[in-house]
Amino acid sequence: MSFWVVAAALVASSLAVVLTPNLFHAVLYLAAALVATGVVFLLLDSPFLFGVQLLLYAGGVVTIVVFAIMLTERLVGERIAQTSRYVVHGAVVAAAVFVGVAGFLIQVPLGGPRPPLPGDLTPVIGRALVGPWAATLELLAVLLVVALLGALYFARTED
Amino acid sequence: MPPLAWHALMAFIVLNAILGLVAYVTLLERKFAARMQSRIGPYYVGRPHGWLQPIADALKLMLKEDVVPTAADRGVYNLAPIVFLVPCILIYATIPFAPDLGVADLNIGVLFFLAVSSLEIVGLFMGGWGSNNKYALLSAMRAVNQIISYDLPFIFAALVPVLLAGSLQMSTIVAAQQGLWFVAYPVFGQLAFVAFVVATLAAENRVPFDILEAESELVAGFRVEYSGMKFALIQLGEYAHMLGTSFLGALLFLGGWLGPGPAWLGPLWFLLKAVLVFLLVTWVRWSFVRIRVDQILAISWKVLLPASILLLFATGLWVATRGAGA
Repeated sequence: MSFWVVAAALVASSLAVVLTPNLFHAVLYLAAALVATGVVFLLLDSPFLFGVQLLLYAGGVVTIVVFAIMLTERLVGERIAQTSRYVVHGAVVAAAVFVGVAGFLIQVPLGGPRPPLPGDLTPVIGRALVGPWAATLELLAVLLVVALLGALYFARTED
Repeated sequence: MPPLAWHALMAFIVLNAILGLVAYVTLLERKFAARMQSRIGPYYVGRPHGWLQPIADALKLMLKEDVVPTAADRGVYNLAPIVFLVPCILIYATIPFAPDLGVADLNIGVLFFLAVSSLEIVGLFMGGWGSNNKYALLSAMRAVNQIISYDLPFIFAALVPVLLAGSLQMSTIVAAQQGLWFVAYPVFGQLAFVAFVVATLAAENRVPFDILEAESELVAGFRVEYSGMKFALIQLGEYAHMLGTSFLGALLFLGGWLGPGPAWLGPLWFLLKAVLVFLLVTWVRWSFVRIRVDQILAISWKVLLPASILLLFATGLWVATRGAGA
């Protein structure tokens, strides 16, 4: 029951992000959507992911997006019609992704009883991140460094 | 009593206790600041020493006219004080005031606190942007700037006690300080505490880091257009956040409810320590001058952030060699 309420809020705020004509409002809806995603994690008995979601996405990413909007001052307060020339293409891709995901989902029997959790999940996540997934984690770090260097390259002054 | 009802009852009690406490913390700050400046401070409303002043202030703010600027983005403007207040109150949810006395002692308590308190910024820039006022917008920009810079050192400083205790659960962290408060833990404890206090000052936008409300240039910053009850909500959120962070500091570094005397004195010890942290921050606030934006950012990115990462790394090494949770 509570899942459906959260899901409805999540879908509504996500739609609002792409449909609102006001850039700043879009960010606020994005924050709401990210918090709702966090609540979904909470409903899945994963409070650690809930905390990380709030901290990194709703707190961090939204702040950085707002920062970007405020620095590009010509955008502040301006109405931007969010129409795209690629609506049809987008719809095709979205439909394909939906079919793909749904195809995976119907292969798994849903609604079965949930297996009991092996106690506190947080240490398990921590061990997995530095154990079997350590290489993946490091690769992500490399990716972020590359993104950072790219940002520096674009932001450098031309002399 | 079913657990849900118990949690609801605790939440109700904690919420009201916090609201009362926050009101009197403002009086405490005013008295403390007045003493530092050889003044008396609030005195006439409720003699002696103005003990009715917070109630009078609250009544005044409730009765004041509510002004919405014509050019404001109404929805965002009206919602901002609430979005600002909710995280500031929610952070109290995981703080245990004594063993088994708190709303919810989550096993990710510290993470929950840090995560929820980082949401405060959303309400802040909603207010700054929704007011459609140049001072408010400038203030919100500065706030975003500053909070990006100081969230990380704040988190890293708070993680040092977490590493030392080997748990994110607040009650476990207090239990780990049974023999030695973490503020007295050699080297790591003191450095982390200093970093925590500096980052707290910045996160709470207090002098010397209060460029976002800078009275002389930005009037009152992002809340310049707010009046009446909305202004009261923002002030309440700000002080609730400050007091909550003081509670966190007392819990992470000063041993929470540990102290001499019988167990029922625990919450009082905890409150006393939290007020001490609050007064420490207030003391700094009323002693220093405001520093410039570039100085604030330089302190964070060039000194505090690298230092706190190094400290966290060193603590991790130390805990790994010593064996965690010992």
